[in-house]
Amino acid sequence: MLEVKNLVTSFGSVVALDGVSFTAQESKITTVIGANGAGKSTLLRTISGLEHATSGSITWSGKSVIGMRAEDIVRGGIAHVPEGHAVISELSVEENISMGSLFRRRKFKADVTAAQDEVFELFPRLKERRKQLAGTLSGGERQMLAISRALVSRPKLLLLDEPSLGLAPLVVEQIIDSINILCRTTGLTVLLVEQNANTALGVADHGVLLSLGKVVADRPAAELRADANLRAAYLGY
Amino acid sequence: MDTFLAALFSGTSRGAIYALVALGLVIVWRGAGILNYAQMGQAMFSTYIASTMITNGNSYWLAFVVAIVVGAVMGVLLDILVMRPLSNKKKTELLSSESMRAAIPVIASLGILGVLQALAGIIWAAEERGFPAPYAQEGFTVAGNVMPFTSFDVFVITVVLTTLALTTLFFKKTGVGLAMRATALNSEVARLSGIRTNFTRSLSWAFSGAASSLAGLLITPTSNLSPNTLDLVLIIGFTAAVVGGLDSPAGAVIGGFLVGMVISFVSFYGSPEDVFLAILAVLLLVLIIRPRGILGAKDARRV
Ligand SMILES: Nc1ncnc2c1ncn2[C@@H]1O[C@H](COP(=O)(O)OP(=O)(O)O)[C@@H](O)[C@H]1O
Ligand SMILES: [Mg+2]
Repeated sequence: MLEVKNLVTSFGSVVALDGVSFTAQESKITTVIGANGAGKSTLLRTISGLEHATSGSITWSGKSVIGMRAEDIVRGGIAHVPEGHAVISELSVEENISMGSLFRRRKFKADVTAAQDEVFELFPRLKERRKQLAGTLSGGERQMLAISRALVSRPKLLLLDEPSLGLAPLVVEQIIDSINILCRTTGLTVLLVEQNANTALGVADHGVLLSLGKVVADRPAAELRADANLRAAYLGY
Repeated sequence: MDTFLAALFSGTSRGAIYALVALGLVIVWRGAGILNYAQMGQAMFSTYIASTMITNGNSYWLAFVVAIVVGAVMGVLLDILVMRPLSNKKKTELLSSESMRAAIPVIASLGILGVLQALAGIIWAAEERGFPAPYAQEGFTVAGNVMPFTSFDVFVITVVLTTLALTTLFFKKTGVGLAMRATALNSEVARLSGIRTNFTRSLSWAFSGAASSLAGLLITPTSNLSPNTLDLVLIIGFTAAVVGGLDSPAGAVIGGFLVGMVISFVSFYGSPEDVFLAILAVLLLVLIIRPRGILGAKDARRV
């Protein structure tokens, strides 16, 4: 279980997270939705160690990750796919993927190969393009690559920041489906950040609505989806 | 024809050394975002250590290896003791502008160059001394004619080309090499992949330190050793790096050979005094025609 309590993260005088508390159950998809600037990315970046919390606590499986370095948090089983198709354009598809398992290559040599085969099975288009530079991929393929890079680190918790951003509906569906399947078949815990609330709530078990750095709703996804008042007030549709 | 051949050969062996210097600069630039002005100061210092060892009766080869290791260690120390603390965001928060923050390590490297040169002056006295070459510096004789090419030139070119080939293999084929490239290209994505970027960055400094010490060992037999002799080499190496594209290791190598040729031909056909002008001319020409250099990336990401 991921447990976030009274989390505060600020940038100078800007308080991006203002006492955020929620939990994400294991082997479930929890989605964090909210308008632009609500603090969604900051939340994920604080969990993965890219930003430092001012106060509050974050625990995963009972262990605190506060103060740990990003590179050690990944090694502890929390993988983060940041906003904006985060791949390295100048490296090949294959290199981008193996980058994610470099830290496991000595101890778990066979499993590193297995993990790579699995992501190629999940996203066959990447296999066809594995010698190509990541910069030559389409937006959807880049997102698949970024997710693959995270998956080969064999995470227990996957943090996804707006995977649907800028992608065609069909591609979004494909990516969301893949994540859903992963969660249901492998027991992966997913924390999915989306502005596209309908898509996210459609696939998630639980939803957390964030507004100006505060949690304004924390309920089963289906309930959130049905609440027209909340939608009108915070998501603007 | 003889002059032409002589210029060509000398340009190749000089160019090889400049390629090494430029590569050292480029690797730290890419890996840490810092132009390291102290690089040839480190090389000068480790060459002095080698010189002292040889004077004290140690073999050239032992001194050679020690100097390269010292160069690598100095690079790592520079990173850990100076550059890493200086690029710490929290500590430099007071400086509001990004460009001011970026200037701090560069100024620090200039300061370290000064300190190294002063220290060398104190320890080894400031006058020039010679530095030995492991092979003859007289030209080969072919059919009674002395060729403008020496055994030492062959040694220089062999050592440099081997180093370049091994470096390329290391970066392309090994996991650590991939981790170093990833860190240089996008350190945030690298960290999210579990790569310990502090470590890979230190490795870049080690590599750069070793490469420039090697360059120092290879160039001092023909230029003598003093606390300041390598200043010009730094300027030439810097020109080579800019010509090739500051963010491209392959460009650095091409730039090195190109600048080596220009210098060699100018000094054989013109006069040695024109060399510095020629370097500046090349630098200006590239900056005007193709500011990103021969192989530099289109978007100058770190300017
Ligand atoms: N690096 C930063 N420096 C300063 N302010 C930031 C930084 N990152 C985010 N913020 C601010 O924090 C708030 C939340 O941003 P963010 O987490 O990116 O929101 P979201 O992902 O929900 O759109 C915004 O007001 C944003 O301007
Ligand atoms: Mg965001």
